[in-house]
Amino acid sequence: MKPLKIGITGVRGIVGETFTPELAVEFAESFGTYLDRGRILVCRDTRPSGPMIRSAVLAGLLAAGCEVIDLGVCPTPSMQLAVKSLKADGGIAITAGHNPWQWNALKFVRSDGLYLNPTQGEELLDIFHQGEFAKASWNEIKQVIQTDDAIEQHINMLLQSFAVETIRAKRLTVAVDCCNGACSFLSPKWLAKLGCEVLAVNDNPSAPFPHAPEPKPETMAQLRAVVKAGRAVIGFAHDADGERLGIVSDLGEPLSEELTLAIAADIRLRRKVGVIVTNVSTSSAVDVIAARYGGSVVRTPVGQAYISEGLSEHNGVLGGEGSGGITVPEVHLTHDSAAAIGLILEHLAETGERISDLVTQLPRLTILKHNVVVEPHRLYSVMQEFRAAVEEDGLEVDSTDGIKVTMPAGWVHVRASNTESMIRIIVEASEKSEAQELLDWARDRIRI
Amino acid sequence: MRAIPTLKISISGVRGVVGQSLTPSLLTRFAQAFGTHTGSGTIVIGRDPRTSGEMVKHAVVAGILSTGNRVIDIGVCPVPTVQLQVRHRRAQGGIAITASHNPAEWNALKFIGPSGLFLNAGQARELLDIYHQGEYTKVGGADLRTVEEIEGATDLHIKSILDVLGPLPPTKKKLRVVLDSCNGAGSIVGPKLIEALGAEVIRLNTTPDGSFPRPAEPLPENLGDLCHLVKEHHADIGFAQDMDADRLAIVSEQGEAIGEDYTLVLAALYVLGHEKGAVVANLSTTSAVADVAKKFDCPVFLTKIGEVNVTDTMQQQNAVIGGEGNGGVIYPRINFARDSLVGIALVLHLLAESGKSVTELLNTVPRYYIVKEKIACPSDRIAGVLRTVRQEFGNFPLDTRDGVKVMLPDAWLLVRGSNTEPIVRVVAEAKSEAHARKLVNDFIARLR
Repeated sequence: MKPLKIGITGVRGIVGETFTPELAVEFAESFGTYLDRGRILVCRDTRPSGPMIRSAVLAGLLAAGCEVIDLGVCPTPSMQLAVKSLKADGGIAITAGHNPWQWNALKFVRSDGLYLNPTQGEELLDIFHQGEFAKASWNEIKQVIQTDDAIEQHINMLLQSFAVETIRAKRLTVAVDCCNGACSFLSPKWLAKLGCEVLAVNDNPSAPFPHAPEPKPETMAQLRAVVKAGRAVIGFAHDADGERLGIVSDLGEPLSEELTLAIAADIRLRRKVGVIVTNVSTSSAVDVIAARYGGSVVRTPVGQAYISEGLSEHNGVLGGEGSGGITVPEVHLTHDSAAAIGLILEHLAETGERISDLVTQLPRLTILKHNVVVEPHRLYSVMQEFRAAVEEDGLEVDSTDGIKVTMPAGWVHVRASNTESMIRIIVEASEKSEAQELLDWARDRIRI
Repeated sequence: MRAIPTLKISISGVRGVVGQSLTPSLLTRFAQAFGTHTGSGTIVIGRDPRTSGEMVKHAVVAGILSTGNRVIDIGVCPVPTVQLQVRHRRAQGGIAITASHNPAEWNALKFIGPSGLFLNAGQARELLDIYHQGEYTKVGGADLRTVEEIEGATDLHIKSILDVLGPLPPTKKKLRVVLDSCNGAGSIVGPKLIEALGAEVIRLNTTPDGSFPRPAEPLPENLGDLCHLVKEHHADIGFAQDMDADRLAIVSEQGEAIGEDYTLVLAALYVLGHEKGAVVANLSTTSAVADVAKKFDCPVFLTKIGEVNVTDTMQQQNAVIGGEGNGGVIYPRINFARDSLVGIALVLHLLAESGKSVTELLNTVPRYYIVKEKIACPSDRIAGVLRTVRQEFGNFPLDTRDGVKVMLPDAWLLVRGSNTEPIVRVVAEAKSEAHARKLVNDFIARLR
């Protein structure tokens, strides 16, 4: 089975195997055609395939007649902000986010700086499959414009969104692991602007990823050591393109990526009561926290586009996912780890509270995640058989995204991955033994 | 009659109309095929200033990088500069992005081997086989290399010329030169070279912006402005380059375009005056070249049309000078390529050393007149046209290596299908223009 996923969230695969330059060229041509030429921004993270895919994308966009502005290596949220400030018609982020370094992907952004929604993603795919693209003639074709101030603009936007003077006054010591990704250009600068003493590791964008670009406790050993040795008040871990955020507490404890949203929600609801938007697969800790402050939770399917739309529809005060992606609506309606850093440091500075104390007050639940690899052509039928089995047990099915079942001990969520050919099982319960029982229950009902 | 194709894939490379057939995916696939053919190493790329150049460049870069090769991008520069760089860097090969004399809507890839020569017919067929088989080398992860943009490639070119020929010998009055670069790749480097040689330069069409101020071929009928400026400024000579600066035409001090055939004649006069050896030209080149060789008691070899045929024979015969009647001068002591810059340097040295004017120099060699016409002709009719020639001129010696060349008393007639366009070229040379014109017109009339 070859890892390539072409879907409504874009195209994603392993370079050197399935993700070829032609595929990138043709997706860029499709996007240029979809946006009827227009102005399009391009950014990329630091993967070794970045320059190759970049050239392919620039060629496709130019051929379709687009005005192309290349932001170089730059976090995806910085590009998303620049789409708005430069009045662009869209953007392409060349990044496989948290996927391993051999992967790459194209993610498509529309003129409001948000990802294409599923309908728009379908339309783009239709153009790709039809294979008839806009073609600029010699006197219409444009040249690429290079610019590198998107990160500067992003920091300026962040500076307007948080109580900067309060944070500066505290001169906090903060550790950060940029994973040698795009945040190497953003995070240390942003923290310095906040008056922090910055202990940065893996902030060399020309070096390879030091570990998987997925901010999870397993990848935070080095950050943990830096927090402890440098007596930092907190440690932040980035993915490759600046969407997901992981946290190490002042005690040097690496926190589960699920806790990033719980922490952000707790901080946010203390100041502003309202709706938290998250996906069906995220810990119900956020429900407990919302209830504590009189807020509420809206659940969407998994994927940033849904969180953005949910926030906009419900006028939410915070969005986020269990993967560590946090959306602070004052900055923009998309995951932005630098904005999440601002929110958390603002709280630490204003209250003097320690992050480890905040964490002890959070509901502690056990989440277990398990992936079942399934042949692509079997994904749908395996899910159907699982649904039938659940209904046979007389249980109620929430089908917002995949199948979610709530039981007295906790919940089970089973869905087909958007990015890989596998079925993801996530269960949550108060106790680990209960969670394990829920996981076994689900695995028994999945027949590949 | 079928539609005239806008795409030509042949042993000369791939050539097509941007916005129609020359799509970025096609270009990427060709670059992948070339990267597969060369094996891993360095590939040098350069381009002429056509508006589509940047799109084509990015498509090519993506394709090359995906095969694991490193790319050195030397930017907008003459084709011979790319060839020189390939040799200088001992690179695996090069790609020149230029449709040379074709109009603005065309672009093309020309493939260069490790010696700096264009791929010969055998090598080009291997490349085409790889392209059509569609199985290209794919690398991922750490095996992917990057593209390096290098400046100063044209300075190295100038230095290489001066190292061999030196500055001009002292003259009573500094030579005054008008240069028409057609806003092409020679626009910047041409004037620099002339000044470095020690002559005064007056510039015409030296803004490399992809606009075509005149048709790109340096034919007499396209050089009206240049002839006018030479007279107005009382210049000693006028030079006209084509878009990719491989071909060179000359205007005399009297403001007369002497015909691009005589560029090689003058260059040979200088070179053979200093060094005896074989002279190589193609079947379509003026007999004056043979007369000059005879004057210096040197052998002449005529080859099929196409730069690579000339360079192959030059290598076999260890020739001291060679070239083509279209204004392409090849001087192997500097560059094994048609090189207008080398042509400029040789002819200026001839003027300075002899102290004679262009007209006086031309009077020392027999004067022939060449008339060239092209007629649109679908490929399936070309063989019929050639048969007509053989029947009509069966009583005269025929050379059928490339089309049909008829050796008439005091004249010749050449009829051949083009490698690059769906046309038949009809060329005649005689001692008077009227005679040459009559030979061409009579033949075309007989076809209709």
